[in-house]
Amino acid sequence: MRYLLALILIVPALAQQPEQPAKPADQAAAAPAQTEQKTESPAPAPAEDWLTGSVDFGYRWVTDAGNFQSYRSVVNLGQGPKLTGLDFTILDPDKRFFDRLDARAYGWGGDPYSTAHVDARKLGVYDFSFDYRNIAYFNDLPSYSNPLAPAGFDEQAFDTHRRNTSLGLDLFQGKLIVPYLAFDRNSGYGHGIDTWVQDSNDEFAVPTLLRDSTNNYRGGIRIECQCLHVTLEVGGTTFKDDDQASFSGTNYGDNTTPLLGQTLVLTSLQQAYGIRGTSIYTKALATSSPFSWLNLYGQFLFSEPRTTVHYTDSATGNFALLSELLFYSGEQNIGTGAANQPHTSGNFGFELRPFRRLRIIESWMTDRYHDAASPLAAEQILLTPKTLGPDLITAANYTQAVNYNQQQTDVLFDVTSKLTLRYGYRYVWGDATVLASQFSQSGPLASGQLSRNVGLAGLTFRASQKLSVNLDYEGASSDRIYFRTSLNDYYKLRARARYQVAASLILQANFQVLNNQNPNAAIQYNFGSRDNSLAVYWTPAGGKHISVMAEYDRTSLSSSIDYLGLFYSPAVSLPGYAGLTPKFTAGGSLFISSGTRPSSYYQPLMRLSLPLHKRVSWNTEWKYYGYGEQFYLYEGFRAHVFMTGLRVTR
Amino acid sequence: MFRPVRNALAMFLAMAALVTTAIWGAQDKAGAPASPPAAPTPVEYAGSQACQLCHEDLFNAFKKNPHQLVETGNRYGWATRACEACHGPGAKHADSASAADIRQPGKLKPADADKICLTCHLNEPTHVGRINSSHARNQVSCTACHSIHKNGPNGLVARRQADINKLCAGCHADVWASFQRPYKHRLPEGAMSCVDCHNPHGSFLPRSIQTVSANEPGCFKCHGDKRGPFTYEHPPVRLEGCTACHQPHGSANLRMLTRPEVRFVCLECHSNMPSTTPAATLGTVPPAIHDLRSPRFQNCNLCHQKIHGSYVSRDFLK
Repeated sequence: MRYLLALILIVPALAQQPEQPAKPADQAAAAPAQTEQKTESPAPAPAEDWLTGSVDFGYRWVTDAGNFQSYRSVVNLGQGPKLTGLDFTILDPDKRFFDRLDARAYGWGGDPYSTAHVDARKLGVYDFSFDYRNIAYFNDLPSYSNPLAPAGFDEQAFDTHRRNTSLGLDLFQGKLIVPYLAFDRNSGYGHGIDTWVQDSNDEFAVPTLLRDSTNNYRGGIRIECQCLHVTLEVGGTTFKDDDQASFSGTNYGDNTTPLLGQTLVLTSLQQAYGIRGTSIYTKALATSSPFSWLNLYGQFLFSEPRTTVHYTDSATGNFALLSELLFYSGEQNIGTGAANQPHTSGNFGFELRPFRRLRIIESWMTDRYHDAASPLAAEQILLTPKTLGPDLITAANYTQAVNYNQQQTDVLFDVTSKLTLRYGYRYVWGDATVLASQFSQSGPLASGQLSRNVGLAGLTFRASQKLSVNLDYEGASSDRIYFRTSLNDYYKLRARARYQVAASLILQANFQVLNNQNPNAAIQYNFGSRDNSLAVYWTPAGGKHISVMAEYDRTSLSSSIDYLGLFYSPAVSLPGYAGLTPKFTAGGSLFISSGTRPSSYYQPLMRLSLPLHKRVSWNTEWKYYGYGEQFYLYEGFRAHVFMTGLRVTR
Repeated sequence: MFRPVRNALAMFLAMAALVTTAIWGAQDKAGAPASPPAAPTPVEYAGSQACQLCHEDLFNAFKKNPHQLVETGNRYGWATRACEACHGPGAKHADSASAADIRQPGKLKPADADKICLTCHLNEPTHVGRINSSHARNQVSCTACHSIHKNGPNGLVARRQADINKLCAGCHADVWASFQRPYKHRLPEGAMSCVDCHNPHGSFLPRSIQTVSANEPGCFKCHGDKRGPFTYEHPPVRLEGCTACHQPHGSANLRMLTRPEVRFVCLECHSNMPSTTPAATLGTVPPAIHDLRSPRFQNCNLCHQKIHGSYVSRDFLK
């Protein structure tokens, strides 16, 4: 992507044009306007540059203490020269290839989150967009692995990058028919440590190479009439996943206790996935307003992803098959299969306004997956390197179905111009037939149903331009649910108020509560969460010199459920945010959680911006990241991140 | 077997009814410009040039704004009168220069302000889920996010990730606080924005979740490797989505899990005692080999590492 960065930097230079004298016709047209401007306009607009923008670059130092892998898992900012921001706009006065081009790029120079975006448009001819993101995903936290095993400390650790590229081209915007084309690519690449699992007796941490990619192509047309809009789109995706793992040496795995007197060990492994997927999808949607009192909409969406599977692994060592009380020295596995998942979605609705103050909104929705899968796995056991043992073949051919339906009616009534009340009812129902666990006692497939009645109410009160209050309530009772933790008998309440005390001072308060219960004797689920926040925004003189944003948020969550005699309860968190932004900025956030997993996370920051010239400023920033865990002390870290650099604007 | 065909047919009929009704309605008012106010009368309208005399800065900014198509094109019926398409007839205001003589959409109640925008914008693909969205139901008007006159890097609405997040956090302060937690999607870093996952105009999925590949949840745009279809699906992924186990806005728990330890996430569902009653929920008890006192079994995904779905193993082992 260095070429991409170079391209982004070069485009402004290529687009640079000498200033051209205004054409006589333009001058003639401009003359009266200028005269009027002098006499009438209170705010004449300055002449606009063909190129405007800014560039931020500098150097970052990182000093860390504690667990560096945790720092990388949570923060991951690195040391070195950085291009932290580039942002420019080109206006082509001749409008030859584009009217306007906006480009921006952030976090280049080895930062974990690099982005680039380009928009170019020629009014009424085309609208082009390009977006690129490269996001590092590093995760290496011992508490997520088995820290007591010899090689288990880094299990489930990953050092990968996910890259997303999107291209879009819309033609003839504003015309009756708008064709469009788009391409998206999502890919992941990197290394990690997975486990190779041997028949539930032992699992061995092995290095893996992770690589997958999904390409998405689509195109369609939008037909835009005054009373009707129709979009027709077809698209397709291709997917591949070629993960690999290999190991050679001596690996005792997580189970260090001898099994029937023998030590289990992995001495070599070759594992490879070859997954390929395709999908064709169709999308048709329409909106319409045939009468001033009626709006209609509907959409029909269909996709049919398919996957084919090729898997192989070959391992040697000393393994056990407890079901046959057998020890053996190697195994080979081959897996093939295919899956097909027609997925149909549709919804339809209308907004009816029979009277000036009354609106009725009705909507129906259905979403249906129907899977067909036929996996086949063959396992060949080697008693010795040259002696074949029993082979195990697992084959299945089954279908799954998931149907979800929802119907909702809302009635909105404007009691006065300042008060709107909302009442509604939602009915959600569905059914699912899925592959049951091997330990299920009810056959190879398991079924579940969903049936939920939800009452809705809401209120919007705008006492004045300065004060608004919003209330939302949702209460439900369920006859059937899919999972023990699903929303069953619950209520949700949300209140939000915003008050503008003065032109420069705004107060905002939020309150949310969710309470969900399942009194079934075998479940006894009781879940509650509460979120309160208070925010203050103070921006005297439009924030030109000083602005303050302070926020306090407290979230509490408690969950208890019966399972096998164990009991679990709460996690409480307390985040907050405060910032100060003129030339000097100070703020950051403080997060403290208590309960089942007490932890703290501090992110204070200070930033100083010194103007050196009309278009150059010297920016210096200090950040501190402090993360601590009460139970997993070895995962804590403290890091000072210091960065200084220049910002050049034009 | 015939259910998908039947559903497709039902949807087709619904769409056909919608299109037929729309065409019928369109015929009903053929030739009328799409406008909330009455058809323009030359006497009442001043024209944009008259507006320019006093509002030069807005006029100039508007010239580089996508709405300029209204001023220059004939399609919308407001050529040379784009200002009055939203502000209503301006002749009286031009004469009196009084603010009381002109419609100011920013000061109307949200439903009325939206009606002006939706005159042109209702029939757009982004608005197909509009009436399903909580923004519409909670009277959040278009102008709460869109600055109609503006021209600049942001155009009509915030475009940079950081600006989008700031705009959304203006109301959703509690959600923004979640992103200050240690394990979160990278929004505070500016690598992502709220609209990467949510469609503020509305979606047929709950919480205005974006869709990808027509009807797949938007999560799969970046997490394509979790999409499948797998030969062995983990039902919660399809039935309740990613939020069954993850807190996508941010969490105090590793990997944005809903519970502090992996085993708690799993065991909350995998605790059903054997039952064949219809009211039973999905999820069976793990076999007795799982000694939860041992760290080896406390992080279930050490073995069940393909927990989002597997191509090879029924138990999500590989």
